[in-house]
Amino acid sequence: MDSFFVRYRNIVVLLVILLAQIIGLATQVRRTDSGHNALNPRDDRGVLLIRLWANALVSPPEELIHATRMGIAGLWQNYVDLRQVRAQNQQLQQTISRLRLEQAELLEDARQGQRLQALLGFQEKYIYKTLAAQVFGSSGSEQSRVFYIDKGSADGLRRDMPVITADGIVGKVRDVFPRTAQVLAINDQTSGAGVILATTRIRGILRGDAAGQLEVVDITADERIKPGEPVLTAGGDMVFPRGLPVGVVEKVVPDPEQDSFVDVIVKPAAHLNRLDEVLVITSTEPRFPPQGQRDLDTSQALDGAQAAAIAEQQKAAQITAERLPNLVEPNVPPDQQPLNDTSPPNPMAQPPQPLHPDQFSPSSVTDQGSDQPAPAGSATPRAQSPGQTKQSPAVPTQPSPQRSPRRNP
Amino acid sequence: MSLLGADFRRDLEIRRYPILIYVFVPLTALVLQAWLPRILGNFDWFDLPFVITVYFALGRRSPIQGTLMGAVLGIFEDALSHHAIGVNGIAKTVVGFLAASVGVRIDVENHIIRLVLNFLLSLLSSAICIFIYRVLLGLDFAWQWQTELFLAIGNSVIAAVLFPLLNRLQVRE
Repeated sequence: MDSFFVRYRNIVVLLVILLAQIIGLATQVRRTDSGHNALNPRDDRGVLLIRLWANALVSPPEELIHATRMGIAGLWQNYVDLRQVRAQNQQLQQTISRLRLEQAELLEDARQGQRLQALLGFQEKYIYKTLAAQVFGSSGSEQSRVFYIDKGSADGLRRDMPVITADGIVGKVRDVFPRTAQVLAINDQTSGAGVILATTRIRGILRGDAAGQLEVVDITADERIKPGEPVLTAGGDMVFPRGLPVGVVEKVVPDPEQDSFVDVIVKPAAHLNRLDEVLVITSTEPRFPPQGQRDLDTSQALDGAQAAAIAEQQKAAQITAERLPNLVEPNVPPDQQPLNDTSPPNPMAQPPQPLHPDQFSPSSVTDQGSDQPAPAGSATPRAQSPGQTKQSPAVPTQPSPQRSPRRNP
Repeated sequence: MSLLGADFRRDLEIRRYPILIYVFVPLTALVLQAWLPRILGNFDWFDLPFVITVYFALGRRSPIQGTLMGAVLGIFEDALSHHAIGVNGIAKTVVGFLAASVGVRIDVENHIIRLVLNFLLSLLSSAICIFIYRVLLGLDFAWQWQTELFLAIGNSVIAAVLFPLLNRLQVRE
């Protein structure tokens, strides 16, 4: 018997275990009234102990795994979020940097727009034809104060054309290239411009010194020159039109080389160190704004009408002269023409002698025994003789018109 | 002679593991079997207690130990479900016994043999369960052969991956 179990112990164990489980199954399944087998899920006898054990055995590790998984997932999510936040932060930083650049660009554009607007306003009002240009470079040397503009010979620029801004003169075109041009600034030592002090009307030559300052040189010392006096172009240098602002007198210093002369340091009106846009005067032909041009046309039209009126008057005078007696006698020599007669046109004729002289007769006003006429004040009735007074009723006088109605009622 | 030969080969190729492995690995299989379906959803085509049963049965080459391992894992697997306790127990008891019995007679170190053996034993386990539910217990039990087929394939693949890993846990003499 022992050898049987030993020999077939595997099968025996298998069968025993299977049998035990089958019996266990049989205790769990019940046959219902309808003849069907079913588990009894609503068994109120409580939980099977084996289920309790299984749950107690599996649930803690499962909860641990779940918690670990959730923790890892949370960490991963946090990591991902952190990475996303970091990436988002970098993206936002880049956005901020980009927006700052854009803001700076917009600000610069706005400033440039304001400058261009001011320049355009000046250009439209300025009497001479100008060409706007952009300053894009310089010589890069303090010894050569030149800058380059983006307009050249293709745009009509020529050498020695004046370059200005709305604030004042800047320089003159020096070398002209097809698309660009080099402008010599007025504060260069080799530059020169004729200027005049606006108040004292003192003329001088403007040039730059080694430090880039503007100075008017070779001016006789004059106490009237005061700081703040405007300096304008004189127009005599054949480059700058007269009347353009150059700057204001900053100070007056003695000329170190000549005793009786002074150098007038000028603060430039234009920002020579911060030039962005300039105007090149391309033509000095006066150019009027539309309203001014209309006014000029109107003036010219009025001048024409006035000339026409004068012509009409002359024509009328000629016609009148032809119709009136001619003052020029064709048969009389020129020296005997009436127009050439210098004698008084109406020589004093001797008045006819009155038939009955009285106190009012011309001869009566003369003193007796003298040919000189008596003064007008003396010809008064009180000076008359009684005999002469008696003669007056004998002279019939022409009655005045005012008396006629009374004589003929 | 053949029995002696079989016993001799079994004694030579028997695998031994630390005692904790016999507790930790089946418990881990039960826990993962209960936890992974929550993550994988409808793609839980595997039965880790079945794979562990087959592994230890093949490794130990002891039908009794295979039977006991299958019975315990199956019963605990049933206990974690709402089904009758003993269905998987019976199925895995049979699987453990057969795996150990086959492992005594053939070389189970070959990967293809392992795949085929797991595939066939998985189908057998499914058949036993269906048989118990529908015939022995007379319960309404719906099943799909595709699901059982995928389950067998999944068990075979997992066994092919897991067996070499578990081999590292054995005691080297």
